[in-house]
Parts: sequence; C-alpha cells; structure tokens
Amino acid sequence: MKSRIPERGSTHVYNVSKISKEEIDSMVERCVYEQPPFCNAACPLKLDTRALLKAVAAGNFKKALQLYEKIAPFPLILSQGCEAPCEAKCRLCERGDGIAIRAIESAVARFGEQSKLGGVFRSTKKQKAAIFGSGLFVLFLAGELEKKMYPVTVFCAEPDEEMYLRGAAPFLDDAAFTLELKRLKRKEIRFVFGCEITAEFFRQKREEYQILGASEAAAKTFFPVAECTPDVMLYEKENLIMGSGSGVMDTAFGAKKAALTADRLAQNLDPRNTRGREGAVESKLYTDLSQAEALTRVPIPLEGYSRDQAMEEARRCLQCRCEECLKTCAYLRHYGKHPGLLAREIYNNTQIIMGDHQLNKPMNSCALCGQCTAVCPNGMDMARVCHMARENMVATDKMALAPHEFALLDMLFSNEEAFLSRPQPGFETCKYVFFPGCQASAVAPETVRAAWEDLSTRLEGGVALMLGCCGAIADWAGRREIYDHTKAFLDAELSKLGDPIVIAGCPTCAKQLRSRESLEVIGIWDILLQLGLPEGAKGLDRPAALHDACGARGDSVTQNAIRSLAKQLGCDLKEPKDALDRAPCCGYGGLAGYANPEVAAELTEQCIERGEGPWITYCMACRDRFARAGQETHHLLELIYGKDAQNAPDISEKRRNRRALKRDLLLEYWNEETKGMEPEFKITYTLEAREMMDQRMILTEDVENVLRAMRKTGEAVLDGESGLIIARARLGNTTFWVGFTEEGADAYIVHRAYSHRMQVVRRQG
Amino acid sequence: MDERSYYTIDPEGKLKCLKCGVPLEKGKAKFLYLDNGFPVELPVCPKCGFVYVPESLALGKVLSVEKALEDK
Ligand SMILES: [Zn+2]
Repeated sequence: MKSRIPERGSTHVYNVSKISKEEIDSMVERCVYEQPPFCNAACPLKLDTRALLKAVAAGNFKKALQLYEKIAPFPLILSQGCEAPCEAKCRLCERGDGIAIRAIESAVARFGEQSKLGGVFRSTKKQKAAIFGSGLFVLFLAGELEKKMYPVTVFCAEPDEEMYLRGAAPFLDDAAFTLELKRLKRKEIRFVFGCEITAEFFRQKREEYQILGASEAAAKTFFPVAECTPDVMLYEKENLIMGSGSGVMDTAFGAKKAALTADRLAQNLDPRNTRGREGAVESKLYTDLSQAEALTRVPIPLEGYSRDQAMEEARRCLQCRCEECLKTCAYLRHYGKHPGLLAREIYNNTQIIMGDHQLNKPMNSCALCGQCTAVCPNGMDMARVCHMARENMVATDKMALAPHEFALLDMLFSNEEAFLSRPQPGFETCKYVFFPGCQASAVAPETVRAAWEDLSTRLEGGVALMLGCCGAIADWAGRREIYDHTKAFLDAELSKLGDPIVIAGCPTCAKQLRSRESLEVIGIWDILLQLGLPEGAKGLDRPAALHDACGARGDSVTQNAIRSLAKQLGCDLKEPKDALDRAPCCGYGGLAGYANPEVAAELTEQCIERGEGPWITYCMACRDRFARAGQETHHLLELIYGKDAQNAPDISEKRRNRRALKRDLLLEYWNEETKGMEPEFKITYTLEAREMMDQRMILTEDVENVLRAMRKTGEAVLDGESGLIIARARLGNTTFWVGFTEEGADAYIVHRAYSHRMQVVRRQG
Repeated sequence: MDERSYYTIDPEGKLKCLKCGVPLEKGKAKFLYLDNGFPVELPVCPKCGFVYVPESLALGKVLSVEKALEDK
C-alpha cells in the first residue's frame, strides 16, 4: 500500500521562515518571568533582596549576610544609612505595609556569621591600588577593591582605624560601630595613617600604584581643576578615580561604579565601554496580589529587630515571581521552563540545520489551546510560537511524520471514506448544513444522528448533513498544504449544497470554519437556544461540573449559550477552578496526545483535578479523554438528545462508528447502499491484543490488511516457542506485524500486534 | 557502509518460514529510515529471504533509533 503522506526527506530546505526573529523577540519579551522583583530593580546596588528575604525567613542569616556583603563591604554602615528605595517599591505597600527591608538588612548585618575568607585563600591581583583621603567614598571604594582582590593602601591623615571610621560613618550607633570597626580591621586593607595629603605627597606615591583613587577633597588638593565624570567616577585627564556622594546609598553606588572603572583601567580598557546596566531599573514583573496576607509590619524596636522578629517580618515577603501560566498549564510544568525561555529554545530549534532537534517533542507537545495567553498578564502566546515552529519545520522539510501521521491519516479517513455530504432529502440546496465534527461521529454517532434529525425537522429551508473534519488536525500539525487542500475540498462541497449557513456541533470546528470570511457559522448551541430544547431533553439529576472547551476560549457568546442551555436542561452546574477563558485543555488539542501521550495525560489529569464529576463538556474530544480517564462525562448534546455513548470507544471503534453512521444514514435517508466493508475472513482478538493495539495505535483494518497480504503471498513465520504465526505487511510508512493462531481455514485469533517505521530489507555482502 | 552489524539476532532454530518450510537462519539485513541505513543480522529465510523483526527488537532498539533519526 502506498503511503498517503510522504515521509520527510533528508535534503532540507533552509530558507523558509514562517517565524521571524523579530516576532520571536517581541514574544519572548512578553514573558516577564526573568524580570527582577521590584525591590531589587529599585536598588542601584542590585541587592538580591528576594533571595536575602527568603534566607532570613528560613533563619539562614549566614547565607543572607553573604548575599548582602556582595553589595555591601560594610553591611552595618549601609543598612543604617541607606535610603532604601526598595521599601517604597514593595508590592505589599499596595495592600498594607511593605516589608521593612532595611531593618531586616540591619539584623542580617548584626546576626549573620561572617564567612571566614582569611588571607590564606586570597590570590591577589598584580595591580596595586592607592586611595588618598578620608570619608565614606574612600572607605567604600577600599572595600570594593579589596573584594576584587586588589592590594589596597589607604593614605590618610587620621591616626587610627577608629578615628577613620568615626569620620566616615558618624551616624553609626555604638554597637554597630564596634562591629564595623572589627570588620574593618579584619579586611585586607592597608592603612597608612598620619599622612599629609598634599599634591607633592601624591606625586611621590603615584608611580608605585597602577590604580589611583581619592576623596573629592583630596583630588581637588592634587588638581584644583579636577572634575569627576559621574558615569565612571573618574577625573579622566589624570585617570584618577574620585568621588563623594550625597547620601550613604549614593556613595556606595559611586564606589561600585568606581571599582568597575578600576577593573577597566587595570586591563587597559576604556572605562566607558561594556559596563553593563548600572543603577536602578524599572521592572515589568507581574505579582499576583490576590493571595497577599499578613499586611502589617512587625514593629521595629529602637535597638532593631531580633533574629526572630527579622524572620517573622521576612516571612511576609511574597517572593514576587510571575508564574501565572506555570500554575495553570501542565505542559509548561512538565518541561519546567517559563515560556520566555521555552519559546526561545523552540525558535532556535527551527534554525538548526545539522544536528539534533531536541525541541521537536516539546514543540509538538503543546496543546495550542491558548490558555497561557489568557492567564498571562502580557498575553504571552506559546500556541503561536509552537504552531509557527511546526509550520516552519514542515516547510523546511525537517519535521518527521511520525508524531502526527496517525492523526493526519485519521483526518483523511474522515474526509474520504467516512465523508458524507448530502442535502436534506427533498431539497436540492439547503439553507443550513449541520457539521457535527469528526470526533462527534467517532465517539457519539447516535447523538449526531438525533441532532441532525431534530434540526432538519424543526428548521425551515433544509438542513444538509456534512460528516467530516474541519481541517483543525492539519492546521495543528503545521501541514499547511494538507490544510489548504482540505479547505478547498470543504468549500467545494459546501458550494454544492448551495453555500448554506454552517451549524457547527463542535467549538473547534466553529472556530476553524469562522476563520474563513466566506462562511457564515453558528453553533448548534445558538440554534437550540432559539428553537428551544427538543422534547424529552433532560439534565443530570446530580450537580455537575462544566468543562469549557479550548475552541470557545475568548468566545463569551458560546460560553454563555452553553450555560443557558444547561440551565434550561435543569442541570445544577458547578464552575470548576479555572473556568471560561482560563480553562485548561483536555490534552486532545494541538495533537498533544499523539506527539506526547505523557504530557496529554498530565493535561487531562489537571482538568479533572479542578472539580468534582460528573462532568459536562461541549467538545467531544474532551468528553472522550475525560471518559478514558475514568470520569463520568456527558457531552451536552448527549443530554439534550437522551443518547448516552457509554464507554469511550477505542481507536478502531472510532473508525467503525464513523463508517457505520455514514452507511446507515445513506441507506435510510438517501437510499444509497454501501458496498460490503467486512473482510472475507473472520478475525477475533484477544482482550490483550485489543488493548495493545489501542495503545500502539494499530487499527483493526491494519491487522486485516496484514492478514490479507499473508493470505495472498503465504509469507509468515512460525514461532516454535509461542506457537504463534507471525505475518507482516508494509502499509504506507509503517511495517505492521501480527501474531495469530488459526481457527480453521478462514478464521484467525489475533494475539499480538506491533509496528515499526524503519524498513527492513535483505542485504548482500 | 561498513561491514559491522549494529544488531545481531540468532533464531536458534526456533523460527520456521511457513511458506518454505525451512528454519530461519541468522542472515544479513538492513534497516532503512529517513535516508539512513543500518546493517544488522536478523532471522532470515534462506530460501525466500523473509526477514523477521521480533517484537522486542521493534519496540526497543528500532523505536529508539527511529526517534533519534526523526530529531536529526
Ligand atoms: Zn521462506
């Protein structure tokens, strides 16, 4: 049997781009996951406040101090003198008291154990630094340069460390002063006290040092015209680092910039270039404040927070992080990546010419359901990214057929062998056509029949019937060519019926068909609201949870119509968590179930966990997946027409249902007979074989074709161990193997079935 | 393609070609997929050339190689 869809080649086309770099960049930018928390963004010194507060909340003051010392060589000076712009930006301020960050920092500086980085492990840099003068800027700069492992010498007029520190940070209280003096003495900073800071002194010393710094006063003494360029904290004419500051934080920031300048100068590089982003920034992060509790600040005693008080206050921190989509999407959680990162990786995957495309599976596992876009504060759209990436992979002939072939062949089956398009008997053309959708005929054929019979009885102008697939499957697979072909085919069939108004039975079909301007599409739910329910329609006698369909996302008209209908039916509807536009996908969307059964199962599980069954759905695919997961589930149309499709059919029964519905309706309404479809021999299956086939996506017709080929050629193997006869046939792109026993001449019992896509041939030599 | 075989299965006399009525023997075969080829040794009928792929091989090694090639 020839393959219906050609397999991918190995000569890839390189230059097609269905997805532009600009588009992906703008998409990735929408994801704010990597944006800094607001407190961190407000800090010019870039303290990782979120991590610090987390450490304190856990009682880990040692780790907290390590984080704080990264930006503050003298933690107590900074925490006691800092203006703390972070506190005003705390999002809790919008609901109550913001976190007392500065008081917590002060507790960290007091209670945190200092890491014991003694001189033993220090490998200092070759370039030596000299800093002249007194004050906070010099002290901070010395601290920064010491941290960067430069040997630092401070030349000053003061007689000792105590006087030096007193002058630089007069605002320190006694306890803090004692601690900070101890810290200063421990640092590898060499002080030369009692110097006379003159221009002559500077001239004598400057040749010995590669990095030179000075307080503003000292710099002006050396060079009366000295002028500091603030971006680099440099008197550029003399390469003299200088500065002061209008406050403790500003001075600390200046020292930080100055230290970076020192680095650049030490490497003989222009200090203005490649400095990265310095200072405070604006954050675009999103924080969900709905769960904010503990809105009152722990009161700060005069002597500052105790350990316990600091911990209690830090525990109020919301740990701002935007994970809105990760909270609601099992697919994103499965890969454990935020969409900004995943989108970037998937885009890069499409650009790989040679080598492994490791993101093929993630790209094909997205349900393309649009939930992330609905829950994202900025409308991040993973469906668009994954869909474009699939189209690009197909267009460049890099997409293997394997993940989607079964679904695509099923679509071709729906639109060929099982396709039916007829005007209502007695009409040449019709005002309407009922389009129930391929899954409805596959899962609940009796409901399809009843719905059409009802519509054609109660509506004026004729209601044609069209059984087929809307093309969503080709669209989801990124197979533009097949999609366009399907579209043209359906258009031609609709035109034969007189271009009727389409009554869709499935929200995804409705959405797909609505995307074509030429068609007028309404949902059967809209029609039934107008006509009223048919006689005998009855809701459930117990409360039921309503699961919204992805096809109706953003379509409040449909969502409301469904709810009105259910109410008219007498249903006691319970809205589950994440309803309407926020509803998760059942796992059928985007062909996730074909490409990645594991992720699809997680998506189904996540749907079910939101509420308590029985469930009511208005998409047959949801109904099917819920039922397969063991949930009592009813499609709204099943309730309306009193037909219960009972248990979920397996993949072969889904085909048989479609075939049989077409055959029966053709005979009953159009008097057309369908040629025999049963094989000329008898096959029975063991239960194990049927389960195996359903799981391995092997159809009964595949088995029939293998046996038919075996009967013609006589080719088979007898396995002496199991006693099974094993035959095979290459059908399209797949080789199917069937293990069976014979029951007389024309009857077989099938025990096993398996398949592979590789072809196997004999080789010589 | 080199002479090396990626995979070898010896039928050990347990398999018989139903058409020819003779036992399958270890023989040279080749897997082909997406323009790649892999020499293997599988149970082959010495008369008609029927190549047998056992279930465990199809669902194990063959499947994993398929998946690797699909992502190339
Ligand atoms: Zn043979």
